[in-house]
Amino acid sequence: MNALLIFLANPGLWQSTVEQSMLLALPALGGVISERSGVVNIAMEGMMLTGAFFAVVAGIAWGNPLLAVVVAMIAGAMMALIHAFISIRFRADQIVSGIAINIFALGLTNFLKDKFYGTSDVPSLPDGAHLPFVNLPGVNGIPWVGIVSQQNVIVYVAVVLLVGINILLFRSRLGLRIRAVGERPQAADTAGINVYLLRYGAVITSGLLSGLAGAFLAMGIVGTFNTGMTAGKGYIALAAMIFGRWTPLGALVGCLVFGFGNAVSARILTGSSLLWGMIPYLLTIIVLAGLVGRSSPPAADGIPYEPGVE
Amino acid sequence: MASPSAPVDGKQRRSGLLGMSWLQRAATSLALPLSSIAISFALGAVVIAVTGGDPLLAYTKLLCGGLGLGCGDDATPALQISNTIFAATPLIFAALSVAIAFRGGLFNIGAEGQLIMGAIASVVVGIRFASWPAWALLPAILLAGILAGALMGGIVGVLKATTGANEVVTTLMLNYVALLLSQYLVLNGPLQSPHTSSISLPIGAGGRLPAIVPANVMFFDQPGAAYLANSGIFIALAAAIVFWVILRRTTFGYELRAVGQSQRAARYAGINIGWITIRTMLLAGAFAGLAGAVQIAGGTEHYLGGTTYISDTTGFDAIGVALLGQTGALGVVLAALLFGALQSGGQFIQSHAHISAELGAILQALILFCVAANFLRTFRPQAFRLPWWRQDRPPDEGAEEIAEAEMATPGTSVTEDTA
Repeated sequence: MNALLIFLANPGLWQSTVEQSMLLALPALGGVISERSGVVNIAMEGMMLTGAFFAVVAGIAWGNPLLAVVVAMIAGAMMALIHAFISIRFRADQIVSGIAINIFALGLTNFLKDKFYGTSDVPSLPDGAHLPFVNLPGVNGIPWVGIVSQQNVIVYVAVVLLVGINILLFRSRLGLRIRAVGERPQAADTAGINVYLLRYGAVITSGLLSGLAGAFLAMGIVGTFNTGMTAGKGYIALAAMIFGRWTPLGALVGCLVFGFGNAVSARILTGSSLLWGMIPYLLTIIVLAGLVGRSSPPAADGIPYEPGVE
Repeated sequence: MASPSAPVDGKQRRSGLLGMSWLQRAATSLALPLSSIAISFALGAVVIAVTGGDPLLAYTKLLCGGLGLGCGDDATPALQISNTIFAATPLIFAALSVAIAFRGGLFNIGAEGQLIMGAIASVVVGIRFASWPAWALLPAILLAGILAGALMGGIVGVLKATTGANEVVTTLMLNYVALLLSQYLVLNGPLQSPHTSSISLPIGAGGRLPAIVPANVMFFDQPGAAYLANSGIFIALAAAIVFWVILRRTTFGYELRAVGQSQRAARYAGINIGWITIRTMLLAGAFAGLAGAVQIAGGTEHYLGGTTYISDTTGFDAIGVALLGQTGALGVVLAALLFGALQSGGQFIQSHAHISAELGAILQALILFCVAANFLRTFRPQAFRLPWWRQDRPPDEGAEEIAEAEMATPGTSVTEDTA
């Protein structure tokens, strides 16, 4: 029991909880936007992985972190564009398309990795190509509050995006339109809203955010690219989104729980402590079953829109 | 929406096939998969050419590596076919698991966790009763896998039925629980082999599935031990038949499909949705658990651990297989064989054409895209009239099905769609 308290009192644990939570919050936020507009998105995993790969490729080639982040976001958005094109233009089953994106991203990144760097490991990012950590003056020494300092720059970006997108979705005209398109596209279309345009925009935004998360993972946390390095984080973000009932702040709560889980499992590797690692996942199930209960997605989520068909 | 009096049948578009000859019918139902494969290979050729490879060489080697066709002196066709069957076997089980859940309106993203649980249970039984003779041990191992998988699935079903907990989240969470449990048991845990780390003790000799080619026989100039395919494939085919029978020939299967097509309609018809959900997930878990048991009993090493269960993606690949196979029994088997051929063919081109084995995964994804988008439908004149983002396309069957199923109570025609 005492060992557990010491383990939990370690500020490093909470610092990495913040980091891991924000890493998950970015794709979860992307998922919220996409599904609020009516396009089911389970492809965050693939978009994130693509972002991570191209961030490292650009980082090694040019050594400029900002440029690499932009490349990663564009790479994520390209994957999202495929998903959007197939599920909006061709009215495909959006789960099939999403799974295809995830398989495609894993295959493509490994294929290009073998092509660019041979079958050996991808080299580490050069000095100066990492995403910097930001020192918040004034809070460093304060116990517990200090964990918000010394975080990666993307963590702060993610916080701003979370607040901004929450306001955008629920307090702005554009947000109302996005939600209208996801709930009742026929009515939105009648009111003169371009359903397709908003859906394309929302899905591509999810790709930008997931690509950013990929860059964060590769350039801020790991420092290189490994095969399948997202390791299910995109799916966890999906779970956080559903757990949070398709709202940014709800998803954040889910991300904090899973971020804590990731931070814990990164510190325990073997023995019976592996069983402790199950707690966040079991806790999620219990909370979902006991408190959250039935959660319903936006009414038109997953249904391709065709004009004139009710 | 089409008129409410239209047939309720989910696969309504297929009813038009009844007037055709069997040849026309076969051609119509094969058009989508075959055209998708053709388009994907064309796109794949572009990927190979752009990255500086020779598409013709790559595809010749892929054909040899996957299907054993057109091999020169550098490969044994029978060996390649054996590799494909070996890769396809667990995919069939896991995809049946995903498919039965889809049919019942549930997204089982946790076939992976159910599979790991099945593998753990069969290893525990295989070690504990290692001295049992084969006629007792092998069924016990398979049964243990089925029960453990069903337990994992059943938890999800019960939670969904009683509290409404979303099955995507719960299955995903249980994946991690199963993975951590397997790591605990194998990494310095109670099941670890005293000789090798990160690997469990072997199961009893009687628990192993018989190989198709006996180990000490020379077959096409290769020792039998090189042939990985084992009798697990026959269990997989039997499972596919069981899947079909349950879905098409039992009341439960009828109710499962009714719930999957429209919960509202099913409720009006007096079907207990919660109970069907629980049974669907029990069954889905059982199929995936059997995948784990067959992996253990028929695998190359007969061990739990190593790379197989730490970074295994069978349960996720199976989602692609189930969707490509359009959640039908025959479709799943064919799709699993195709994915298996692309996996073993991918390994082969890496060693024989120096093109990354990942080409197989890229082709898998491209085929899925093409099946999902059904590009064939776009070869119509009106597709050129409007800008592409506002094209008015022929009504999509999927949307109509949902709308119609919402409207009407389940009719007799539900029984007529093909599994």
